[in-house]
Amino acid sequence: MSRSVWILGLAAPVLAAAVFLVSGPAGFTARAGQAQAASAEVKIDNFSFGPATLTVPSGTTVTWTNRDDIPHTVVSDDKVFKSKVLDTDEKFSYTFTKPGTYGYFCSIHPKMTGKVVVQ
Amino acid sequence: MSGLARAFDPGTVLLAKHAQHVVLVHFPIALFITGVAFDLAGQWTKKKALAEASYYNLLFAAISALPVIVTGLLAWHFQLEGERLKGLLLVHLVLGSVSGVLICAVWWGHFRARRRGLTAPGYVRLVECVAVAVVALTGHLGGFLSGVSGS
Repeated sequence: MSRSVWILGLAAPVLAAAVFLVSGPAGFTARAGQAQAASAEVKIDNFSFGPATLTVPSGTTVTWTNRDDIPHTVVSDDKVFKSKVLDTDEKFSYTFTKPGTYGYFCSIHPKMTGKVVVQ
Repeated sequence: MSGLARAFDPGTVLLAKHAQHVVLVHFPIALFITGVAFDLAGQWTKKKALAEASYYNLLFAAISALPVIVTGLLAWHFQLEGERLKGLLLVHLVLGSVSGVLICAVWWGHFRARRRGLTAPGYVRLVECVAVAVVALTGHLGGFLSGVSGS
């Protein structure tokens, strides 16, 4: 009787640990993935935004990174968002919460334009 | 509005605050460098006509430098909302201001000498050479910033 109690007592935590190791980390990873907000990147290089048109779901945080040797800015046409002057390798992020089309440009070089389509 | 119509639309031309600085800046650069070249040539050849031509080039360079400085400051105010500048933009602002002062100083040196019926003293020629170097460096940075001399 006492021997089977010992066996059950040892087997239970071993079984629990095995279940955790097999399914636990994957489950945590999946949950972490769900909790992580969507993000997208726009690269500024050679006097242009790339991609020029970016389509993202609502709630996405878009990050612009200046890979150019020249300072640039990111300013929306209707002043919804506006970055400071971005020197080389500096970044600017904005989270789009409302669907719509957001045109933007560089205020130092107004011919540089881009668009974010939020679905 | 088509591109051609926009090019001649007064509203577009007058309200393009940023573009005005980029367009106007060519006048004082060209006039000043030409004025200095005429002045040095006038000294070399002793021809009064070259000295006269030099004086008027320097005069109009000084006059045209003022709207360039004003439109540059307006571009900073309107396009960047007066944001504290750093890096290339700050260096361009500082060198542009120094260029404006040097251009006016060179003209003033010639103006004073001319009023006394003399030729400008030697140190004015030294200031001219320094000014040409600073103007060229400022113009290079401006071209780099605007993408004209970029890749």
